[in-house]
Amino acid sequence: MGVELEKSGKDAVRVAPYYAGKYEIVPKIPIKSLRDFAVWYTPGVASVSKAIVESPKLSFEYTSRWNTIAVVTDGTRVLGLGDIGPEAAMPVMEGKAVIFKYLGGVDAIPICLNAREPEKFIEIVKSLEPSFGGINLEDIESPKCFRILDTLRESMQIPVWHDDQLGTASATLAGLINALKIVGKKMGDVRITLLGAGASNVATARILEKAGADPGKLILVDSRGILHAERDDMDELMLKNPWKYELALKTNRERITGGIAEALEGADVLIAASKPGPGVVKKEWIRKMNSDAIVFALANPVPEIWPWDAREAGARIVATGRSDFPNQVNNSLIFPSVFRGALDVKATTITDEMMIRASQALAEYVPEHKLSEDYIIPTMDDWRVYIHVAASVAEQASKQGMARTPLDYDEAYVKAVRIIARARSILERLMEDKFIKPFPEG
Amino acid sequence: MTAVTFRKATLNDLDRLVDLLIRQKRLNEEFDPLLRLREDIAEIGRKYLEEAIKSENSLVVVAEADGRVVGFLKADIKERLFYYPKTEGNIVELYLLPEYRRKGNGVKLLEYAVNILKEKAEIITAEFPSLNEIATRFYTNLNFRAIISTYARETIIKK
Repeated sequence: MGVELEKSGKDAVRVAPYYAGKYEIVPKIPIKSLRDFAVWYTPGVASVSKAIVESPKLSFEYTSRWNTIAVVTDGTRVLGLGDIGPEAAMPVMEGKAVIFKYLGGVDAIPICLNAREPEKFIEIVKSLEPSFGGINLEDIESPKCFRILDTLRESMQIPVWHDDQLGTASATLAGLINALKIVGKKMGDVRITLLGAGASNVATARILEKAGADPGKLILVDSRGILHAERDDMDELMLKNPWKYELALKTNRERITGGIAEALEGADVLIAASKPGPGVVKKEWIRKMNSDAIVFALANPVPEIWPWDAREAGARIVATGRSDFPNQVNNSLIFPSVFRGALDVKATTITDEMMIRASQALAEYVPEHKLSEDYIIPTMDDWRVYIHVAASVAEQASKQGMARTPLDYDEAYVKAVRIIARARSILERLMEDKFIKPFPEG
Repeated sequence: MTAVTFRKATLNDLDRLVDLLIRQKRLNEEFDPLLRLREDIAEIGRKYLEEAIKSENSLVVVAEADGRVVGFLKADIKERLFYYPKTEGNIVELYLLPEYRRKGNGVKLLEYAVNILKEKAEIITAEFPSLNEIATRFYTNLNFRAIISTYARETIIKK
């Protein structure tokens, strides 16, 4: 892994100036001569504008807005690199934008903002609304990200998603749904320990509750130990991180105190999203978990505990964030299709129910007879999984009245297939014709 | 969650009261850097509360749930030298643990104390850090208003 990491880093920095960016904008209208612009631009386009003035909803029909989202960051918590600033965040956002296109057929525009103050950031993103069909927030530090997401979700009429929170939480939920099927336990009965209380685990705790977990049986552990309603930093949390504060009030009904070891005693599930291991979670702690323990060690690049160590210590199912181990919990399985589905019905928002539906759809894509300890979540190679999740999300949005143009599952499926297939064939053709230059060996 | 009840504090409550007092002062510290906690706060706090519980001119009441103290209020009876009304019940501490907030318990705790204080005091006042917006909101909603302000600066002004 170390060697591989090093290789991909070297390659990336070598080819960065060769390609000078990862995407460009290509027209999708016929242009044979400048005269065509009488239609595409002035004077013809004025009529299109007038029509939108009459009916603003038409901006989703008459412009690229319906399939375009902004990938927005302030660069305050980029990958594992931390607060590297907006310029340095750009290559990451470009990469994300290209994943959106490749897996979801979504046109994503990277926008790195010089706006560290949440109020300013919120104002700017709000102002972007007329140009976009959705907003994907990315790599914003916690707890600022919670307020930004909540405020924007409430005030915008297009979907707003913070992938570090919601994407990871949805993928985790999908994996957990299937893991519980295998061990024959119910969501409402299990004790779930969440190690790490940053963006993803706070979102995971919130969505687990919505998905039927008993909040009193959730135990959150952060760098100060187990979270509970009487921990002595509660007042500080109330002022600085009300999201964690709310969780402290309703989780851990038994008032367990201590650290990771105490939190794992008798737990059915561990969801670790804390810091790179190994050794963050020890084998002897896993041994104290309930029988048929489920362990998600999601830190990258090295999980909190190696899968073989967790298995040896008695865990029955182990998932990580890594593609080279079985059961990769990866938000790339979620975000392209959630946006594909949301955009296909011109959704006004992404509700918690749409998010849970995405997790269920991802989980049910693994057929019962194939479900096993080493196969609880689909891999990214099968592109039909994205279509199924997208159509499920579109259908859920339509059911909930969040769709500007509602579609049922089949209609949404057909639409998503067409768009994603088109994105992939264009890419193939561009590579064949060498408009996209072959990867230079070095 | 069981109902919250109120009673006068006894010396048996001291350990718990010191913990709650420190939590409250720590919250004040969050609001204002001029309210930095002293290292010996536990010791001082214990003495302060013990004297108040014993004193005729102070009142310490506690909020209890499931047999545990979950909040408290301390007030002092004072004479107002220059003004009418002459007797004042001055609330100087009020704290409830987080899970007992936003349920009306704070108001009940205050009303319980005021009911006792009114035997000796004609006016009720409350003292709290100006930047503590939670306290400001709480008392304002109960028809309190500011009558005297304490302004502060350090003796040497740092530039």
